[in-house]
Amino acid sequence: MNSLTATAVGKRYRARWAVRDCGFAIPEGKVVALVGPNGAGKSTLLRMAAGLSRPTTGELKVFGTPVQGRIHPDVAFLAQERPLYHDLTVRELVRLCAAMNDRWSTERVREVLGLQAGVDHNAKVGSLSGGGRTQVAIALALGRLPRLLLLDEPLADLDPLARDETLRIIMTEVADRGTTVVMSSHLLSDLHEVCDHILLIDEGRVQVDGDIQEVLARHRILVGPAAGESTVEGTLISATRTERQSTLLLREAEPAPRGWASTEPDLESLVMGYLRASRERRNSAQHK
Amino acid sequence: MIWASWRQQRLQLITLLGLLVVGVGAIALLRSSMLDSITSSQLTACVTQPLQDCAVPEAAKAFQEEWSNPLDMARLLIICVPALIGVFIGAPLFARELEQGTYVLAFTQSVSRTRWMLSKLVIALVPALVVLIALQYLVTWWLSAAGTLGPLKNGAFTALNFGIAHASPVGYALFAFALGTFLGVVSRRTLVAMTAGLGAFVVVRFALSGLVNSLVPTQRVEGTPDRQLTVHEDGSLVLADGYLDTAGQPVPEDEVNALIQACKTTPAGAGTPESQQEFLACLPKSGLAKQYADVIGESQAWQVHLADVAIFGGLAVLLLAGTAWVLRRQN
Repeated sequence: MNSLTATAVGKRYRARWAVRDCGFAIPEGKVVALVGPNGAGKSTLLRMAAGLSRPTTGELKVFGTPVQGRIHPDVAFLAQERPLYHDLTVRELVRLCAAMNDRWSTERVREVLGLQAGVDHNAKVGSLSGGGRTQVAIALALGRLPRLLLLDEPLADLDPLARDETLRIIMTEVADRGTTVVMSSHLLSDLHEVCDHILLIDEGRVQVDGDIQEVLARHRILVGPAAGESTVEGTLISATRTERQSTLLLREAEPAPRGWASTEPDLESLVMGYLRASRERRNSAQHK
Repeated sequence: MIWASWRQQRLQLITLLGLLVVGVGAIALLRSSMLDSITSSQLTACVTQPLQDCAVPEAAKAFQEEWSNPLDMARLLIICVPALIGVFIGAPLFARELEQGTYVLAFTQSVSRTRWMLSKLVIALVPALVVLIALQYLVTWWLSAAGTLGPLKNGAFTALNFGIAHASPVGYALFAFALGTFLGVVSRRTLVAMTAGLGAFVVVRFALSGLVNSLVPTQRVEGTPDRQLTVHEDGSLVLADGYLDTAGQPVPEDEVNALIQACKTTPAGAGTPESQQEFLACLPKSGLAKQYADVIGESQAWQVHLADVAIFGGLAVLLLAGTAWVLRRQN
């Protein structure tokens, strides 16, 4: 079964479409990297999947059930703003969430908080650092024992060590419970370690959707003489050009012609290529 | 859920409890000191009889000068508490969650939005109402100890006495609270909800204060033109009065004035007892057969209070339904 599917999902805020005609299906057990430039609609998409806001058009389904105005019992959501009651202690906050859930494991929350160094159960949430609050919020999300975990920028305000701990917790969660994870992030190198699926959206539309290895295998980076671009065959995604040399990102590329070096891109250069292409599209659209 | 709501509103609940304790202490002390003052001035009998029958009028006057201020403050307290409940408990209840984004935490747990809302409403509202009713009871207890020496002599229908009696304060509090929560979810700003809520409450409270009188059936009291009707003095609420002609129909006011003028000018030597008698005898002859008044008796005051609660409680229910509707479609 698919854990999350979107059919022609659109979300409009007044005149602006944050998400438009978005369609994808995420199989169970995948760890999905949701990437895209700032304002691409990643947060809007995750909020809609969590039942916090309703799509203007189309429909989202979680484990086959349409999302309608409330969160699916098998979903846990980490919001980008980390909304927590700052005047409660960590212990009280855990108790509060326990009271608001039918299925809940305080054990699991303690275990996760125990794995993360430096969160004092008796400290007021407001006195924690941004990273500390993120760790508490992730622990609370896991306390719901979800089958689908939606994480909006889970690594944003973590130091490298905490980032590593958090990624390890997410990996363990996936390995132990088979949880599907959708996480948005700008930290592509970190995502590559844990994610096996990529969903690249820009201007509210899906640009790339697929298994990371397969997607990478379908693309090529070609480096060659600036004059010889016409000999290259394949779908050009984006290019960076200097006076003497062109670097091209291509999809479904034919074997490289003479004088060109062909390599498989890594996740970072793939995403960069797509983001550059979308920025150029936007700039040329503005200049028209 | 109960614990969750209690923990989040702990500060407010402790404040309410503090208010109650201070209120009980202060009113009990003031009341006993007032009773001492009554006995020491030999005013005990005057508490139950009209002021003109009081044997020691100077002492009564001194007593009133000393105690009318504290008693008025107590009455004002009960008038103000509903507004305070609306501003400090109703308005921030959801506005703060929406402003700080913490509603997202609640909305992504398995508890339904309606249940979350109801449990917050109940934990916020019930203790506030309990404290209000307790304070109202205490103030009434104090006022009744002063009897006719205190403000109760003005009757149940004066604005201050009416606003603190029976179920009316509860009705106002429900309305102020619901108004605060509604403006809170609409504006999503605590400060806006608090100030707009206070303003709107004061306006509506005074705009509707006269409406309630027209909802309760009145009684018509009739009497001869030569003596003033007793309802003007016994604390009844007089909604209409004037003269009736021989057919029992009310006479228009300008006609009444003209007839009275006519009777006044007929006899010579005005001001003498004889002319006064002639004047009174002239009235029925010229067509002012009877005096009448449409009144709500003081013993019927409870009906007016019930109508009052129905109006403000009804508005409160509408506003709470609006709050629930806005919260459910919040996105």
